[in-house]
Order: sequence, then structure tokens, then C-alpha cells
Amino acid sequence: MINIPIPLLVLLLGGGVLPLIGLMAERLHVKWLREGWTILIQALALYSVYPLYREVRAAEGRILLKYLPGGAPPLGGCFEIDVLGVYMAGCISLLALLVAIYSTRYMEHEGRLTEFYTLFTLMNAGMVGVAMAGDFFTLFVFWEMMCISSYVLVSFMKHRPGPIEAGFKYFMMSATGSAFLLLSMSLLYGMTGTLNFAYASASLKAVEPTPWLLLLFTTLLIGFGIKSAIVPFHTWLPDAHPEAPGPISAMLSGIVIETGLYALTRVIYLTFPVSIFKPTFAALSVVTMTLANILALLQSDLKRMLAYSSISQIGYMLVGISTGTAYGLMGALLHIFNHSLMKGLAFLCAGSIVHQLGSREISEMRGLGRRMPFTSLSLSIALLGLGGVPTTNGFVSKFILFSSAIGAGMPILAVIGVLNSALSMAYYLRVIITLAARGEASAEEAPAIMVGISLLMALLIVIFGVWPQPVIRYADIASKCLLQGVGRYLSAVMGP
Amino acid sequence: MHPFTSFIVAVFLLLLIGLLCLTTRRNMIRLLIGVEILFNAANLNFIALSIQRAGFIDPLGQMIVLMAIVLDGCVVAVGLVMTLNAYRHYGTLDVRKLRRLRW
Repeated sequence: MINIPIPLLVLLLGGGVLPLIGLMAERLHVKWLREGWTILIQALALYSVYPLYREVRAAEGRILLKYLPGGAPPLGGCFEIDVLGVYMAGCISLLALLVAIYSTRYMEHEGRLTEFYTLFTLMNAGMVGVAMAGDFFTLFVFWEMMCISSYVLVSFMKHRPGPIEAGFKYFMMSATGSAFLLLSMSLLYGMTGTLNFAYASASLKAVEPTPWLLLLFTTLLIGFGIKSAIVPFHTWLPDAHPEAPGPISAMLSGIVIETGLYALTRVIYLTFPVSIFKPTFAALSVVTMTLANILALLQSDLKRMLAYSSISQIGYMLVGISTGTAYGLMGALLHIFNHSLMKGLAFLCAGSIVHQLGSREISEMRGLGRRMPFTSLSLSIALLGLGGVPTTNGFVSKFILFSSAIGAGMPILAVIGVLNSALSMAYYLRVIITLAARGEASAEEAPAIMVGISLLMALLIVIFGVWPQPVIRYADIASKCLLQGVGRYLSAVMGP
Repeated sequence: MHPFTSFIVAVFLLLLIGLLCLTTRRNMIRLLIGVEILFNAANLNFIALSIQRAGFIDPLGQMIVLMAIVLDGCVVAVGLVMTLNAYRHYGTLDVRKLRRLRW
């Protein structure tokens, strides 16, 4: 019996078989075989998250511990699945399913599709693995799996120089980040003698800060911060995300950088007392959202503007994480889910526009609202959501984030956040106005599948905007895992 | 002097060399080597810390280093492919020539 989480197993096996399926599809000239297989795998992964959800919710604060036979923790690697891990896996698989369906039409005319779908599936497997890892080494292996797939996917269109250049830059920065992550692992190992999160947490959580502990904190922050594009380390993102193919931009901005943030939050909350990281995160969040919003204002390229907007959204999430309260964390988790829908949709619509119009310049999109009404409508809804307009889900999570900052005694963060939100509306509205204006942009409406997915996601944004209670309730339970649930997280591995 | 102090010093030197290589060199292959040096600094740190307890060599650290070497082999392979592709487009290995995007 292979004792690893089922969604992960599905993705790994499905991704591993995909090259064979692709070979079959080419030899036998069966259309849609690998596309169908990819969608099936993603759907199965999403579906198999549900039994895990039932299992962790069966009792209050239940944690599943899974490891391969003969490799029991603390020496062997393990998966420790709590509500938070299942929440992240759900966000990842939902977006991945939608994007997989979308990319069947978007990537239709490209070559090397077998590689594309294999890497896409393995990237998702990596992210699900990161979400469920119970020790640092398992996390690192899946982290690298996600990173390596995403390097290749960013520079997938290798016949153009832009993706190659963006990919190389992304690669250099992200590989440096991975090296720092490995260094932080070695420091953690030197201090505690283990890499298991539970054991490390037990021996570090109550310790007074020493220089070594601060070094560990810094290397962790650099390692995860590069991937999640926190501001001093963000410079790869505005190149890499726009140059990637449309569906991959949606995945990268929608969930990959959030996975980095999730891993950072998980490790930091497990191993450090709140007082150490609170001021650092608060300062980083202010810098991140302000700088990214100002830079986004200056962009004339739609996808590049959306990429900067992703950085600023990371800043909003950092506000919630820096509060150190369950309410703030709940806001951050809710924003991860909402942002995956909104930014995913925005990048998918931008992809449709690039696909039909052949240009990313906002100025050339005048009058596109009449030519591509459905795509423009969904893009507008996504942008309004990102700006935080009421009745979209972005409003709900931003409201929670900023009010949590006031509750945690940091009203200055809330003020800066609200000001930034207002500033960000300037560039979102500019796009909407350009789309709605009269003009002579000539393009057909995108293919039905792409439009269908966009409209579905736009509908989800509005639904979760007016009826956010189910997600809020779930995010609330998930956020408590990081605070009150730490004791249970430890005893799941170490025994009571 | 504690026996592993020399190792820790070596780790910090490697880190410095790696970072210096990343910031000052302009050749893409050298940048890759810089990343590799950083990875190896971390690996050396693992090995050094796995023998810190007297009379006992912890297998966990050694095992992790073996896996980490495989992983950074994969990373560098991808990096070399990207360097190759960049060379085909630009005809040079100088990163300063990769300026079509705003850095």
C-alpha cells in the first residue's frame, strides 16, 4: 500500500504516464488524447481532495500523518495533512483544472504539447506536495519539482527571445533562492538535529532569539521570499509572468507565488514566536504593496501590469500574516483563494486577448469591448475584484485583511492598505475604460471553451463576493491550524 | 577551537564567493557556476553539522546531501539548456546583451 496523499499520487502517476500518452496520441493520430488525459488527471486530483477534506474534518483538529513504509518520522520524510494543507490543495487543484481546460484551446497550435502538459501536471504535483509536506526535506523536493517545471514552462515559447530571457532571469533568481533554502535547512538541522517540522518546532518555538536563529530567519525569508516575490526579491516576476504562455501566467500568478507564501507562513509560524517576525513582515508588506502599485501604474503592457498587481496582492496577504492573529491569517488565506480566481481569470482573459489581438499593449485595445464582449466583461469583473469593489470576492478578503490590521494594533498598515487599494483602482479602471471606449481594434471573440472558462470564473468571483460564508468558515478553521493547532501538529508526529 | 569551526568558515567563504560570482560576473556559464557554489556551500554546511556531535555521524545529513546533489544537478541542467537557447538567439553568453526586457 503506497501511503501518500491521494491527490499527489494521482498527479505524480498521471504526470509520469503523460509522455507515453503523448507518444500514443502522436503515433495513432488521436486528437485530444493528452488534453483529455490532463483534464481527467486534474479533475481526479480535485475530486480526491474531497475525501481528504472529509477525513480531516471528521474530528476537531484531526491531522493525518502519512509516510512510506520503513521511513517513519523523524528520520524519514512524511506528509502531515491538516485542514490548512487540504485548503491549499483545494485552491491549487481548482485553478489547475480550470486552466487545463482553458489551455486545450489556447495551446492548440503550439508544438511540443506533450512536454507542456507533463510539466504542467508535475508543477501542480509539486505544489500539492509543498502544501502537504510534514518535514523540510519533503517540502524541498516538491519545491524543486515545482520550480524546475515552472522554469521550463516560462520559457516554453523558445522560438522568441523574450521568454528565453525572462526564463533565464527567473531561473537565476529562483535557483539562488533554492540554494538559500537549502542553507536554511542545514542551519535548522544544525540547531535541532532534525528536519521534521514538528520536532524543530518543539525545540525552537520557545527559544530566545540568538544570532543563529536570526540567520535562519533571514535565509528562510530570502529562500521563500524570492519565490513569492516579496519586494526586494521581486524583480524576476514582472518579466517572467508576462512572457509565459497565457495559462501558465495564470497558474504562476494565481497560485505558484502563493504556494511560496504558504510555505513561508507554515515554517515561520511553526518555528518562531510571533514577536520576531511581526515587525519584519509588517515593513515588508508596506514596501511590497506601495512599490508594486506605483510601478504598476507606469506600465503600458497589460500582462506586465497584472504581474505588478500580483506583487501588490502579495503585499496585502503579508498584512494578514504579519498580524499574527487568527483573523488576519484567515484574511490572508481567504485572499489566497480569491486571488487565485481573480488573477487567474485576469491572466486568462489577457491570454485570450493576446491570442486574438496579437498585442499586449493596453493602448491598442481601444474598442475591444465591442469585439470581444464576453472576454472584456470577465476581465472587467476580475479587475474590479482585484481593486476590491463590493459584491466581488476581493472586497471581502481585503476588508478582513485591513480590519485585522486594526484589530492587531497596527492601524497604519490598514491605512496604507486602503490607500494602496484606491491607487490600484487607477490602473484597473484605465484598462476597463480603454476596453469600453470607441475604437477600431479588430479581433474576433475568443473560442468558446476559453470564453466559457472565463465566464465561469467571473461567475465564481461574484458568487463568492455575495455569499462568502462557506469559504470564510473553512479559511477560519484552516487559519487556526497555524496558531492553536500547533500542539496537535506536534503530537501527531511525536505522540502525546 | 571547536573542530567544525573551520568548516563553518569555509561555508561562509563559499557563500561569499558564490554571491560575488553572481553579482560581478557577466558570463552566463559563470553565473550557473555561482549558483552551484551556493548549493555546495549549503551541502558542506550539512556535512559539517552532521558530524558535530562527538563520536557520532548522523546519517540524515549525509542522505539529504546526496538527494540535494541530485536536485541541483537537475536545476543546473535546466540552466544549461536555457543558456544554450539564449546563445542561439543572441549569439553571446554575456548577460548584459540580454536587454530586450527591462531589467
